Amino acid sequence: MDVHPRRGGRAITRRAFLRGALGAAIAVPTAGALLEACATSSESAATVRTSLPLARRNHPVRWPIYKDNPPIKSGLSPERNATLKIYNWADYIYKAVVNDFADHYNCKVEISTFNNTDEALSKLRSGELDFDVMFPTIDILGKMVVSQLVQPLNHSYIPNLTKHVWPAFQDPFYDRGWRYTVPYTIYTTGITWRTDFVPDDIPGMQNPYDIFWDTRYKGKIHLLDDYREAMAMVLLRNGITNVNTTSRRDLSLVSRQLQELARKVDPSLDVSDYTDVPEGKAWIHQAWSGDMVSSQYYMPKGQSPRVIRYWYPPDGRGVIGNDLITVLRSARNPVLAHAFLNYMLSPKAALKNMSWNGYQPPQRSIDPNKLVAQGYIPPTLKSAVVRESDFARGFELLELDPKTDALWHDVWQRFKAG
Amino acid sequence: MRRRRRRANEHGIWYPRWYWPGLASPGALWLLVLFLVPLYTVLAISFGTIDPIFRDAVPIWDPLRWNSAAFIDILHKLAGSHSFLLPPVERTLIYVCAATALCLVIGYPVAYFVARYGGKQRGLLLVLLIAPFWVSYMMRMLAWINLLGSDGWVNRGLQLLHLVPHPINWLAGDPITVVLGLVYGYIPYMILPLFAGLDRIDPALLEAARDLGAGRLHTFLRVTLPMSKQAILAGMVIVTLPMFGDYFTNDLLSGSPRTAMIGNVIDDSVLTPGQGTDAAALVILLTLLLTIPMIYYLRSTAKAMREGV
Repeated sequence: MDVHPRRGGRAITRRAFLRGALGAAIAVPTAGALLEACATSSESAATVRTSLPLARRNHPVRWPIYKDNPPIKSGLSPERNATLKIYNWADYIYKAVVNDFADHYNCKVEISTFNNTDEALSKLRSGELDFDVMFPTIDILGKMVVSQLVQPLNHSYIPNLTKHVWPAFQDPFYDRGWRYTVPYTIYTTGITWRTDFVPDDIPGMQNPYDIFWDTRYKGKIHLLDDYREAMAMVLLRNGITNVNTTSRRDLSLVSRQLQELARKVDPSLDVSDYTDVPEGKAWIHQAWSGDMVSSQYYMPKGQSPRVIRYWYPPDGRGVIGNDLITVLRSARNPVLAHAFLNYMLSPKAALKNMSWNGYQPPQRSIDPNKLVAQGYIPPTLKSAVVRESDFARGFELLELDPKTDALWHDVWQRFKAG
Repeated sequence: MRRRRRRANEHGIWYPRWYWPGLASPGALWLLVLFLVPLYTVLAISFGTIDPIFRDAVPIWDPLRWNSAAFIDILHKLAGSHSFLLPPVERTLIYVCAATALCLVIGYPVAYFVARYGGKQRGLLLVLLIAPFWVSYMMRMLAWINLLGSDGWVNRGLQLLHLVPHPINWLAGDPITVVLGLVYGYIPYMILPLFAGLDRIDPALLEAARDLGAGRLHTFLRVTLPMSKQAILAGMVIVTLPMFGDYFTNDLLSGSPRTAMIGNVIDDSVLTPGQGTDAAALVILLTLLLTIPMIYYLRSTAKAMREGV
């Protein structure tokens, strides 16, 4: 596990644990009503411990706004002489973009980092931190709303969302009416490989996922050390597109095939795809699109990044997702925090941020077809470009109910125990 | 009044009552704060429950309300038709035994040489032995990644000399790399107690053995080796205990499920929502297992002291 020069820390960065199981019960049909009821009762949200709705495309969730956690009033001016405190994945945001914001609003910005969302949640719940802005994932949103760690947004401060962001994110299924979140980055999960070591025509294979089981590349195959991502890959290999499956039969199939994979190719598990592939440590790696875009900066001197390829199902039927930005309830500078969200959604800041971290923002002004021509993405990695239409066909890894999540973990633990 | 609270020792010096307990208090506080409290916390977590929403472990502090679900779960994972924790347990035993044996085989001659033949250079040699401690364990392991990688110095050297046609894939789940990584990481802890033990042997005893007709080998086997038994035991205990819980060496030098040790299973469980109690239960079971060599060591030391060896 390499230490990322930009992201630092233990290599369990960003999405490594972000799928991390979010507890929560199903209670889908009645949950909305239940939460609304809780919101109006005098009972504190901390005591609402029994169920959470599971947001799905065909079952969108509109989170309640609690009486004791209202949005800020409109028309306030940003706090003066303030220090905006940001809580984010290690090095997931371009410092220069943050500095531009600080200059514009004449404030200071402090960035604190977490390695995974579990760590972040437990620190936030301790109540001793007063961060203003946090970058969560979709699958922990419910927990954060119900335990009132986040505050509802006042849309009047964030005109950039309607102005600049893809329509698909104007009213997302995981947060109807974007009451608590704005989108940050988008990504797909696919296969990356080195053409100088792997002569196979992977996109031309009948089932490209079979490459992970190919004994010729034993010792050079890496999977993402993320139970949801790795297991979803096995499901997709078998044509099972419900990547949030609750079926025991599906999961035992995944378990068998993962054991077979472990036996055949001795895979390594990590989330350092952006360095392992350019450095030649991995020849074939399950990878996130954004990491592949930034991998070009990690190629050893004198080598061309053109040897790196990325495959995502051309029909769009693969794993896709997006990360979020929220204002925390503990915010001491909520107006400035709203301004920050708005700023991050401006085309200029969003594009500048992408030029550094490789992850695409869902901005209208960014024409995915031009990203290659504009030099943001090498032509050989054009498959790493994410289009709005991909979200209609792709599959998101979403929150599971605790029982199902335990089954998923069981399969993963078996696989990892060898 | 003040006098009453004081006691005189045999030399007639008076000490306040709190004097001697006071001297012990930093150590006692250390033990309480840094050992007993964390240990009880792990126990309370292992017998605790899981938060239904956040899925993190919720400790139960009152022993009367302890819940043994995590231990039952671990036992099912260790034995039974759906068990899967046995391979990592077996692997851990094999790797740790092999690494400890190698530490001893490599460390003993080094310690012997420094203790017996170091002469005036002993100080320097000892400093050189301790030198690896100056670099953090993680940095030393990261250095091996660069050395052993496909385009690392070792592979480049071997290819330059035409000894191997292709780079050797040491870092892709090779048990030998993991064992050697453990040996490299922990060997200074073996050498130091061995040196201390061997250094204490009175050279006159060895000369006496030679005078009485024992050859070099016999002197070693019948005098030096038995007299260094305590040092060997101490060194073995010191390296074995941390090796059993080690996960970092494996993570850095392999990262493959095929070499996962029990430390990796615990590490994964700690980081997995909903498995915090299982992780704590595994820690408790491992601690219990490790008290066996510890008790053996303590008994053996006590016996040696009684016998005046």
